[in-house]
Amino acid sequence: MPEYTLRLRRYNPESGEAPHYEDFKVELEGHRSVLEAILQVRGEQDGSIGVRCSCRAAICGSCGVRTNGKPGLACHTHLDAAAKNSKHGENVIVVEPMGNMPVIKDLIVDMEEVHWKKIRRVTPWLVAKEPVPEREYIVPHEAMVDVTQTMACIQCGACVSDCLTMEMDPLFVGPAALAKAYRFVGDPRDAEQGQRLKDLAEDPHGIYDCTHCFQCIEACPKGVAPMSQIMRLRRRAGSDFHVDDRNNGHRHEMAFVKNIRKNGLLHEADLLPDSYGGKFHPRAVPELLSSLPVVLRALKTGKVTVKKALLHEHKASPEIERIFDTVENREVRLEYNLYISGNEDDLADDPADAVAPAATATLAPPVVEEQAVEAPPEPPVAEAPAAEAAPAETPAAPAPDAEEAPAADPAAEIEVEAPAEGEPTEGDTQ
Amino acid sequence: MKVAYWPGCVSRGFTPELHGAMEAVAPLLDLELIGIDRASCCGAGVIAEHNQELADTLNARTFALAAETPGELMMNICSTCQGAQSECQERLDASAEYRAEINTTLEAEGLAYEKGLVTNKNFLWLLVEEIGLENLKKKVKRPLTGLKVGPFYGCYIVRPTDRLGIDDENPRDQYMQMVIEALGGEVIDYAGIYKCCGFPIITMNKKASLQMAGTHLADATDADADCLVVPCPLCHLNLDLQQPMAAAEIGRDLSMPVLHLPQLVGLALGLDNKALGLSRHVIKPTSVIDWSTAVIGSTGEAGW
Amino acid sequence: MPSHDVLIIGAGLAGQRAALAAAEKGATVAIISKVHPVRSHSVAAAGGINAALNPEDSWESHAFDTVKGSDYLGDQDAIEVMCKEAPNEILWLEHAGVTFHRNDVGQLGTRAFGGASQARTYYVADITGQAILHVLYEQLMKHHEQIDRYEEWFTTELLLDDSGNCVGAVCRNIRDGQLQIFNAKSVILASGGAGQAFKPTTNALICTGDGIAQAYQIGAPLMDMEMIQYHPTTLAENGFLITEGARGEGAHLYNALGERFMEKYAPNKLELASRDVVSRAEQTEINEGRGFPDGTIALDITKVPRKRTLEALREIVNIGRDFAGVDITREPIHIKPGMHYIMGGVKTDVDGQTPINGLYAAGEVACVSVHGGNRLGANSLLDTLIFGRRSGEHAADQALSKAMPSTSHSKIADTQRKFDSILNRDAGGRRISEIKNELGETMNRYAAVYRDQAGLETAHEIVRRLKEEAAVAPVDDKGTVFNQDLLGAVELEYMLDVAECIVVGAKERKESRGAQFRTDFPERNDAEWLKHIDVSRNGDDAPSVTYSPVTITKWEPQERTY
Repeated sequence: MPEYTLRLRRYNPESGEAPHYEDFKVELEGHRSVLEAILQVRGEQDGSIGVRCSCRAAICGSCGVRTNGKPGLACHTHLDAAAKNSKHGENVIVVEPMGNMPVIKDLIVDMEEVHWKKIRRVTPWLVAKEPVPEREYIVPHEAMVDVTQTMACIQCGACVSDCLTMEMDPLFVGPAALAKAYRFVGDPRDAEQGQRLKDLAEDPHGIYDCTHCFQCIEACPKGVAPMSQIMRLRRRAGSDFHVDDRNNGHRHEMAFVKNIRKNGLLHEADLLPDSYGGKFHPRAVPELLSSLPVVLRALKTGKVTVKKALLHEHKASPEIERIFDTVENREVRLEYNLYISGNEDDLADDPADAVAPAATATLAPPVVEEQAVEAPPEPPVAEAPAAEAAPAETPAAPAPDAEEAPAADPAAEIEVEAPAEGEPTEGDTQ
Repeated sequence: MKVAYWPGCVSRGFTPELHGAMEAVAPLLDLELIGIDRASCCGAGVIAEHNQELADTLNARTFALAAETPGELMMNICSTCQGAQSECQERLDASAEYRAEINTTLEAEGLAYEKGLVTNKNFLWLLVEEIGLENLKKKVKRPLTGLKVGPFYGCYIVRPTDRLGIDDENPRDQYMQMVIEALGGEVIDYAGIYKCCGFPIITMNKKASLQMAGTHLADATDADADCLVVPCPLCHLNLDLQQPMAAAEIGRDLSMPVLHLPQLVGLALGLDNKALGLSRHVIKPTSVIDWSTAVIGSTGEAGW
Repeated sequence: MPSHDVLIIGAGLAGQRAALAAAEKGATVAIISKVHPVRSHSVAAAGGINAALNPEDSWESHAFDTVKGSDYLGDQDAIEVMCKEAPNEILWLEHAGVTFHRNDVGQLGTRAFGGASQARTYYVADITGQAILHVLYEQLMKHHEQIDRYEEWFTTELLLDDSGNCVGAVCRNIRDGQLQIFNAKSVILASGGAGQAFKPTTNALICTGDGIAQAYQIGAPLMDMEMIQYHPTTLAENGFLITEGARGEGAHLYNALGERFMEKYAPNKLELASRDVVSRAEQTEINEGRGFPDGTIALDITKVPRKRTLEALREIVNIGRDFAGVDITREPIHIKPGMHYIMGGVKTDVDGQTPINGLYAAGEVACVSVHGGNRLGANSLLDTLIFGRRSGEHAADQALSKAMPSTSHSKIADTQRKFDSILNRDAGGRRISEIKNELGETMNRYAAVYRDQAGLETAHEIVRRLKEEAAVAPVDDKGTVFNQDLLGAVELEYMLDVAECIVVGAKERKESRGAQFRTDFPERNDAEWLKHIDVSRNGDDAPSVTYSPVTITKWEPQERTY
């Protein structure tokens, strides 16, 4: 049986000693978990080791730690896997408390002080739509599967531990709480989706404070993909509820989209002012002035030429504009959600097909997102337009003309809104 | 080796030296770059945030255009392109129905995305997996002996590991270290290697964004790095272009040169500073240039 | 000292449901748990929750299935209450936000489960317990003005006043070691089961029988303690649970000869016979040499369409991959019967009242008895919620018409002395972990699927010895902050008390019924044993046995086949 060195970060607030690392030897099969190793050490060598744990099977969420630098559940981390990438020597496994939260003792952190406060920040309960039906709410199958992804969160804190925004901005509402928010925003039974989204979009530490670093997706032991949920919150806030937040979040998104529609490639010089609402938006002025030295420096070093800064070198091909028009003019957005619909590779060669009728063994259609605030209790169930789509070789119907439907073009929309006088939150940019 | 070459937007916009360096380095690596001229921005995650189908369609189109080239695979030089395109490709490859839906939009242009045709690799991956480190070592003319290089990956190319195919067989999150060593340099380990440069929130939370950049630059400084190397031009924007502001934000002087990956490779392969556009950086890579002049001695390439 | 109308100890489904019900009645509530509420073991309940909610179904059918499942040891008045109230409870949960599975037309959908004559199990993938627990916790946060949460507080003792009424508890704040008396007009025990007295077990490390032992200590009778459920599908190496939902979705069991052996034991219901029947069948196959070399049976989930498995059985896909290295969508997984649930517990009536005035119990800690000799899958969540709610309502009603009792502070000093004596034990005794391991292995050997007198006598002797050893087992941690070592010593005492009661009950019942199969008394014997065995603390430390009748309303005992 392999021998591992378990290097635990010890801290006892009563001892008067600084935190330190202590080595313990354990003999266990490599497929056993880091938690089992800790418990063996605690049972046989030192009963004073502090670690929260309960179910041992990645369900209760108690044993969030950092193992060789990676956040996760101790019970869900195999010894051999943890040891493989050890920077600390052969079979040395360093176990430390999670980050971004104060340490109470050894591997135990104060989740109440950080994690749970943030959870409570997002009004974490269903505000049931009225009237409450006598029996169950009638809601689409896919909608329940969808929110079950966030319901699968076990509140272990692994995502909070290594959230890179929170590392710099401790006020960031954070991945776990925002995933929890999606659990209600995505729930067709909730009456306050618009309010929730406005609240979290306007909060300077809300949905637009996420730096898109994927740490939470990587850390999550339950496939909740908090960052993906944050992106969906943004999409719904901006596109469905037209929340024009004070953090430039939605404006930045729309400026980017407009920029690509127009140029095909990103034209950075336009992006910055447009993100603040256009060159002449009052909010843009201080931001542009503060970035002026940077631009000047860039010009000076030849990184950026005046021509490049002022002229559009690229123009989008008509094809790009046509794609934007086609997709953006759909009545409902299509979202292929891997959590709901799965991957066809996982379904290939299913032996159950031979036993059971194969009717259920096809993929679910792409899910249509519920769009409007006032949507009926049963949002449109996915119509599976893909199912009728012609194979690529078949001649296609002509694409809709881009000129025909400018009204729903969000890029056009934002231009109309651009000068936006009388913004209520004018002073908030700094 | 012929590759369908996708430089992305920023390498032809605010970091033109990246595209230039790549074009200069390619022949030395026997790479023939075949541009995918009509392709559009990958969306950088922002278009997907706005409308997932739109991002998937634009990138499906890019893949389809790449498939039309004689390139053996598609190569990008931007972590963000890699991550955003991998995310779209994951969805496109998950469902025949969804692909068909996307292809309906592409049909008018005579294009279609076909699963399994296009492998999209960042230059970093291609260096290790296609060119090979042994082969790369043989091409080194000026080993980076004594140059202390801190790798900075950028989020999109290291997470999530399963989507990006990072595993024991392909430890893509170690490639920068492996490449630096193959080029003869010394790898500097510091806290920021896998962290976020902060660029995505520069317009929403400038303070946190600059704090991120500043902190990683300071950590690398404290770890005694001569320079950082990035496979992502967006990281470069926050780490180099914004470095003076990042320094102000964290209240500390910073002067950390940040090199694009092809620049570092080019240096070791014997290209000069000008060819690699090193002078175009906001933070002058003085330490790197001093190093290179020290190594090449009398070639007289020291000047800007 | 904190004073509340209703004090609830334990914050799993029963405790949280009780808290919400009591608060709705207008009572002030404290809910105390030694772990954060969402860590409670209810979180691990996978497969679902039963209710006759479909118009084609009836509560009578659900009740009969439950009575039959219990091998006629369940009290039929209580079973009637549970099954009648089940549909409304599901709807209450749905309205509170539980993300129950929907069918194609958006209504609640069901899956099949063991021992049930209809598909009446409502579910959220295979994380039903987690989904409900987290939604209840959402409601606790919502009702924070009425419900005070004491998270990570360890209850050490229930308090009686001079007249024998339960008036509160002594608790230790795990964070800083501070002791506190919680004064209350009504006390509801909802602290779960005692699976850790067995090794292996599907139960979490926190399931140490605290509430059962605390009630026992103050004289409350325990009922049906001999009835220990072995779940048919647990992982051999670590005891982890593979949900019955797998068989509900169509998975088959095979022995090493490739035979679908349930055809022999339960020709009609096959894999979906009740759990005692399936576990016994598996154990027989294993004992007679038809198991796999590692003493297991194969559970073949590849019979279930893969898309369905990936959506409805996600968690066991993960468990198979992460804890057994098996892709259950592509190959069978090896399982065996494993300790899962204790049907017995603190004896209560249908309102959760124990024979001790002011003390209630609900959930796995309690025995109403709705499960009798064998609990049906997906009836435990229902039990926790129905009787948690009823306890909360009744306790609140009672409390609102009472004055706040007074409690002496001297109890704190007593408890502190007890802790100090544990902390001051001499080194040299057996380690707590060693004693706990021996206890678990002993129980799993002698009080498992098959039992006999000699084995149970041996088990009892060992438990008595372990009690002596536990009384002097040293602790390493002498501190106050998160002293889990000290609490482990207390938990060990709880487990030993519970284990002794289990063994005493099992020795007493000289027949085979439900989960209790006596190889020396292999038949059910209604003439002599259609009755509950109640175990109470008799003076110092020796359990005494009495009997109480089984309530029969509609369903006379019959032969039980599946």
